[in-house]
Amino acid sequence: MRLEFIDYAILALYFVFVLAIGFMIRRRVQSSEDFLTSGRSVPVWITSLAFLAANLGAQEVVGMCASGAKYGLMTAHFYWLGAVPAMMFVGVFMMPFYYGSRARSVPEYLKLRFDEKTRVLNAASFAVMTVFSSGVSMYALGKLFQLVLGWDFTSSVFLSAAIVLAYTFLGGLTSAIYNEVLQFFLIVLGFAPLSILAVMKAGGWPGLASRLPPVMTHIWEYAGTSRDNPMGVEAFGLVAGLGFVLSFGYWCTDFLVVQRAMAANSMSAARRTPLVAAFPKMVIPFIVILPGIAAVALSHMNLGYALPPKDGGLDYDQALTTLMAKFYPSGLLGVGLTALMASFMSGMAGNVTAFNAVFTYDLYQGHIRRDAPDRHYLWVGRAATVGGVALSIAAAYLAQHYNNIMDVLQLVFSFVNAPLFATFLLGMFWKRSTGHGAFTGLLAGTAAAAATHGLTLAEGKGGWIATVHQFPSTMAQNFWIAIFAWSTCFVTTIAVSLATAPKPETELHGLVYGLTEIPHDPEEPWYRRPGPLAVIVGVALIILNIIFW
Amino acid sequence: MNDLRVPIGIFFAIVGILLVTAPSARAPLTEVPVNLYAGSSMLLFGGAMLWLARRKS
Repeated sequence: MRLEFIDYAILALYFVFVLAIGFMIRRRVQSSEDFLTSGRSVPVWITSLAFLAANLGAQEVVGMCASGAKYGLMTAHFYWLGAVPAMMFVGVFMMPFYYGSRARSVPEYLKLRFDEKTRVLNAASFAVMTVFSSGVSMYALGKLFQLVLGWDFTSSVFLSAAIVLAYTFLGGLTSAIYNEVLQFFLIVLGFAPLSILAVMKAGGWPGLASRLPPVMTHIWEYAGTSRDNPMGVEAFGLVAGLGFVLSFGYWCTDFLVVQRAMAANSMSAARRTPLVAAFPKMVIPFIVILPGIAAVALSHMNLGYALPPKDGGLDYDQALTTLMAKFYPSGLLGVGLTALMASFMSGMAGNVTAFNAVFTYDLYQGHIRRDAPDRHYLWVGRAATVGGVALSIAAAYLAQHYNNIMDVLQLVFSFVNAPLFATFLLGMFWKRSTGHGAFTGLLAGTAAAAATHGLTLAEGKGGWIATVHQFPSTMAQNFWIAIFAWSTCFVTTIAVSLATAPKPETELHGLVYGLTEIPHDPEEPWYRRPGPLAVIVGVALIILNIIFW
Repeated sequence: MNDLRVPIGIFFAIVGILLVTAPSARAPLTEVPVNLYAGSSMLLFGGAMLWLARRKS
């Protein structure tokens, strides 16, 4: 793929604008809360687009297109079964506690609701995890640009990291959020033409459906048993594992996304953030998954397009970039690559801004220096930003040289994350649950996840203790690991809570259902209230599931 | 300049103009004048953002 002057000009223009937005925000940053939590001042249309963009990293975009090519439309379950219902839940039911507790981070909510040890467990694992995941995506980006454009790995890693560092250092969370909105529009406008062109070339939706096996263009039809679909999953594992545990675990408890909603300028805006975000979220599969499906159809058409081979199979990860090379002339090609760069930056800035808040408030202020003047924490927040970026770069190089270590680490993180939603669910909706219960539940859930992985085998993965069950795919294995982890955490937390002393109700106001006033804002027009919005989202979601059944 | 719609509007307007006025390059697999269509939609989007920002202030 060769770039012309105009492509570089567009990429450079984008760099100028993200830095300009950083400088524009800079004057607003007076206190540590301005820097780390946006001082709860951001309007809802901005927080909701940032809520989406922070998750829409380069790995997500490239990976969803790859899954589209590999598994077909069933990939859309990650959106239509997974993300959107979870976003409805967090907006309607959980945000009153997050936002109303006045916690500055998700771990801080755990401290207020449960105790210090639960907070530290969550904060420490989250901090390490964000740094590593931003390193892994940086590595993926460097490798992709090396492969597609012949760019030097070190230069692309350092250049992109330096720009993210510059704008997050200048304006903190607000700057990251504002840039995520620009990045979101760029991702949509940069990738949507690709989807339209590729699908048109394949003969539109009817053309796609006639050229591909039917399992590639349906989401539920072949989900009944694992033999019938390339994902190797069955409906229960799909609904309980992906639709419930994994998606609710991510969208309802991951500080990376929840932080965007908590930056909103009112309780009502915080609750509407995920709900407003759900509308574009439902449409994103058409932009990121559809091109992957079209790529497979196009490879059957003797057009001179084929997915590149890899290890005897196909290199699905290159679906997106190979399509761009075939459908984008120089000019729009620059926009497409800039969109890829933007998706990477939005993901990385999301990680960095979540990391610095958790590090500063939950680890540093909680345990290293408690009562310093606010100026000091602003300084620590900025230093943590630099540190977070430096550690991400280190993690990117670690991934480059020791790919196996990164695989193991990501596996461990998935064990730690799997049970989280059970803890939050019980914490928010059952006032009897206790700190000891939550802490033991989390540890037990993580252990159950590891044990499930150790006792089952899928595509040669797992089974390091013994093999008592074989899964048809690692995806099915992941879903079941999540189901076991969640259930173990749920049961253990209840059992231990009942055996330990409850927290006095006076300390639980604003933190638990039943002791918190749920805002109803009846004076607002219906389109500004969470309830009616959630109903509309739900109806649209059901319609989508039926159309593509 | 504190309205985010202003920088977003300017950015997409510039990119739109760049694409529309770019020498008509062709991509291997399509005859559609891609740059022209994508460029005009971005110009339109950028313009709409600027108009919204202006209307508010």
